[in-house]
Amino acid sequence: MQENYLYTFTKRIVGFVGVLFVLSLMIFVLARVVPGDPARIALGPSASQEQVGAMRQAMGLDRPLMEQYATYVWNALHGDLGRSLISGRPVTTEIAALLPATLELVIVTVIMMAAIAIPLGVTTARYRNTWIDNTGRFFSIVGVTMPSFLFAILLQLFAAYFLTDWPIIGRIDHTLAPPTGPTGLLLVDSLAHGRFDVFVDAFQRILFPALALAMSGIGQITRITRSAMIENQRRDHVLTLQSFGVPDRVIVFRYLLKLSSIAPLTIMGLEFASLIGNAFVVELVFSWGGFASYGLSAILQKDLNAVMGVVLLSGLFFIVANILIDIILLVLDPRLRLKEAR
Amino acid sequence: MVVKATHEADALTPRYMAWYRFTRNPTAIIGALMVLSVVALAVFAPLFAPYPEHAGAAVNFRARHAAPDLTYWLGTDKVGRDIFTRVIYGFRISLLLVVGVLAVAVPLGAALGLLAGYFGGWTERLITGLTNVMLAIPPLVMALAVGNVLEPNLVNAMIAITLLWWTWHARLVYRVSKSVAAEDFVEASRLAGASHWHVLTREILPNCISVISVKTTLDAAFVILFGATLSFLGLGVKPPTPDLGSMVADGRQFLPEMWWGVLAPGFAIFYATLGFNLLGDGLRDMFDVEV
Repeated sequence: MQENYLYTFTKRIVGFVGVLFVLSLMIFVLARVVPGDPARIALGPSASQEQVGAMRQAMGLDRPLMEQYATYVWNALHGDLGRSLISGRPVTTEIAALLPATLELVIVTVIMMAAIAIPLGVTTARYRNTWIDNTGRFFSIVGVTMPSFLFAILLQLFAAYFLTDWPIIGRIDHTLAPPTGPTGLLLVDSLAHGRFDVFVDAFQRILFPALALAMSGIGQITRITRSAMIENQRRDHVLTLQSFGVPDRVIVFRYLLKLSSIAPLTIMGLEFASLIGNAFVVELVFSWGGFASYGLSAILQKDLNAVMGVVLLSGLFFIVANILIDIILLVLDPRLRLKEAR
Repeated sequence: MVVKATHEADALTPRYMAWYRFTRNPTAIIGALMVLSVVALAVFAPLFAPYPEHAGAAVNFRARHAAPDLTYWLGTDKVGRDIFTRVIYGFRISLLLVVGVLAVAVPLGAALGLLAGYFGGWTERLITGLTNVMLAIPPLVMALAVGNVLEPNLVNAMIAITLLWWTWHARLVYRVSKSVAAEDFVEASRLAGASHWHVLTREILPNCISVISVKTTLDAAFVILFGATLSFLGLGVKPPTPDLGSMVADGRQFLPEMWWGVLAPGFAIFYATLGFNLLGDGLRDMFDVEV
């Protein structure tokens, strides 16, 4: 096999672009064959036939389907996803305003996943077949099988009955004026402006949604970290280190963990697809008001342009996450880098 | 423990060993019992349900929002319908969804996987390419887009889920059939004059059955979860059909006081998905395959 890493990497990126292309084509065709005229949705039921006709022309709906698609792709590449049929504002602007909320949630979720799942996987592998292991496995199967909306509601109920002061709805208290900062991420901006009251409130509010969103990933990743750790314990170089009398702690954290984080990281990339899906549910339960809530209301109102924007952007999210993980793997796994140099 | 029948030549067949592994695995047995109970409740719903008339659009305002007690085991909802009855009928809807989706997705995926693995070349490239594209689409987002286009109901939820589900089976069966297709007995069968059809269905497919059955069991859990999530978001089954996901969405308006309206259907979903998952894990250990 003369497959070097750079080649595989480029191949993956080309594949990802193909995915986006097919996704956009599918959504486009679906959106155009449906009964229901976008121009009619935009103008409402009281508009006259002539007005709808003029609107169709303005939106380019009278031209051939292939031409419409080509225009859509061309505009999308320039950052123009059309106008929302409901509000009339550009979809790009609307999404850009809501994106930081979702991005913040997703980043905290991913940090939480790694911070909980990897130590849990390491511990359960270390104490294999003891009560610690069994408890860990029980939690990971619960994480995988419990619907995320149920877990989100359980967290809210818990707060409602036992932590009565804990805020469980929304992203920030309405009485606090959050700083409009460089990033749009409340946790970062509040620190940048020295507003610790905002930081504390935002931090409290993000914990539960992030935990609800992280849960299924935690279950999955714990499982995989555990089996990777157990498998790698039997490797020759680990046995050699042990026979030299290297302390267990050093073996686990310096050598085993690095080797065993490759499989869970790969899974984390795939997990992103369901993470985006679950974000719709979690944002709904916690009234988060992010990009996923926007997508949900767009779907319920049949706002086709907004739906297409949301679907494409979710695809892009998934792809960027996977490319990032590819890069992290390249840093972690020297074998991949060696392949490249050869 | 030593198997007591070691001196009987035919006692240690792979099938016996597999059964032995399965019956000595407590979580697998628990999973099997959980699945059995869900299926029994769903199939014989009218026999088990204390108030079968509450499964539809009935009203019983005298008992609205009644807390769980001896009359209404899991309490009642906003119009006084017995939640226990509706949960049992909800299992019916969930299992219907599972059967509807898997009856199409599994054969379709398996067939494409078999073809790709056996024939190779352009067939292989086309099918694996298509599978990879489909796998990169966030499933819920795709289902939402389909839900946007079609009216939300049980059949369309099935269509949306099926559209995505076949890919996992295609990928899995492809992996197995590709390695089996390289075996000598396949070539021998071809040399002896067997048709492609014979080789595919009689030589390769039997080797994929264990993988397919494990994956299908695990899938049942995810289809239930997925269907419930869709109807929770208002894009799946619509009221008054007693769907577990929309029951949770309904009950959520009356939190935190009427907690039973959410927890009963919510934990019913969890019970079913957990059962199928434990059973699937048990089958995986039993057949000793990777899924």
